[in-house]
Amino acid sequence: MPSTNGRNWQRGRGEDPILPEVLYVLWERRLLVVGAVLVLVLVAAVFGLRGERLYTAEASVSVRPQEGPGIGEAPETFVDDVLAAVTAHDFLLDVMREAGWTEGPGAFQDRLDVERYEEAAGAAGLRVRFSGSSAEEAARSANAYASVFVDRVEKLNDSRLAGGTLAADASIDEYASPESRVNYQLFFLAIAATVAGILVGGTAAMLLESRTRSWRDVRDAELTLRAPVLGVIPDYSEEN
Amino acid sequence: MDLYAAPGSGAPGARELLSPGSSIRRHFEGLADNLLSLGNRPMSVVVTGPEPGAGCSSVCLGISGALAGTGRRAAVVDCNLRNPALHRMLGEPNFLGLTTGLVGYRALEHYGFEAVPGVFAVPTGPVPADPDAPLRSGRFVEAVRGLGGGRDLVLLDAPVADRVLEFPALCGGFDGVLLVVHATRTSKNTAREVTEDLLDAGVNLLGVVLNSFANGTS
Repeated sequence: MPSTNGRNWQRGRGEDPILPEVLYVLWERRLLVVGAVLVLVLVAAVFGLRGERLYTAEASVSVRPQEGPGIGEAPETFVDDVLAAVTAHDFLLDVMREAGWTEGPGAFQDRLDVERYEEAAGAAGLRVRFSGSSAEEAARSANAYASVFVDRVEKLNDSRLAGGTLAADASIDEYASPESRVNYQLFFLAIAATVAGILVGGTAAMLLESRTRSWRDVRDAELTLRAPVLGVIPDYSEEN
Repeated sequence: MDLYAAPGSGAPGARELLSPGSSIRRHFEGLADNLLSLGNRPMSVVVTGPEPGAGCSSVCLGISGALAGTGRRAAVVDCNLRNPALHRMLGEPNFLGLTTGLVGYRALEHYGFEAVPGVFAVPTGPVPADPDAPLRSGRFVEAVRGLGGGRDLVLLDAPVADRVLEFPALCGGFDGVLLVVHATRTSKNTAREVTEDLLDAGVNLLGVVLNSFANGTS
């Protein structure tokens, strides 16, 4: 029996999703799609493994106002003010020295990510992330930033007594540890390569499918034409 | 003419299509059953393909042979005036047929022949200078439909789908259109475009036949 009767199939034809057809084509040409995915993943793996492997470590520093002008201020604004005051003079050079960093400040800054945080209880502070070529380097650098920051805040508090305006308490809430964070760059690269492989392989499969002159079966014809197949006649030319 | 008894007459394909013992008979029987079991059972069907060589003439003969094999009667009319094939397949001359029937005073019944019992064939007849004129004739639809009296199905062996769309008589004058797709020659793109064109033109597309399928087991 035909899959649909009369004109009924024509009425719903426009509403039919093309997803089943796409999935069917991808499945029928799965070798092509899988091949494209494998090639791109391989390329991504080679690219990722040949490049420098980065480890990321994170330390967190809490910052609170003591008294004076900072008290009525919004926590995030206060943290910004402290950060601006603390990092004004050769701060990064001190951090690099503390971390034992031998390359230039540009490379250090590229791997550094300082983010302000604010918690619901009103506490605020900084999250210091550093990506290093080893887990130890990453942790050492993040901790160096945090400890130099805290030292600087204390120095600024001392200078307040001599006429400064900042009054803040800063402490390291959490030190970065060497195994605290693993860099997922390679993993994300593999995911991106897989998605790209599916897209490239899928596009190639759809392109080949539209140009092919070889029909697989009834389902193939019905999905391609979105019309019922009433009969399949085998090739009988050889029998003649 | 008896194609069964005279193996030398007609093309080998026609003998295979009309012979009751043919290995492909059951496939045509299934196709004929599906066609006749559609809602609003069609009595006259235009058989076309996305491109030349899809096998429309073979499908027409195969369906009519299958119907004849089960005691029913069918007629096949060759409307492909630019490329007449039916008379050649059946090994008959083309002196009389559709074109002479349309200008004559008698019914089209008198311008064809019984290919095998139950299968009445009307070739194109001599092709006029303007091969499209008979298909635009006011008598065309009425004359072909007239063959349906006492028959279960009238099949029109039509030109390719693009040409069918040029003739309102072929698009809308009969009960529906059957699209023949060659399983190794017709590109999917072409078949899909033709299907869209037919439906956009409001044609009652009854369904598709996958012809010359290499596996044959679907």
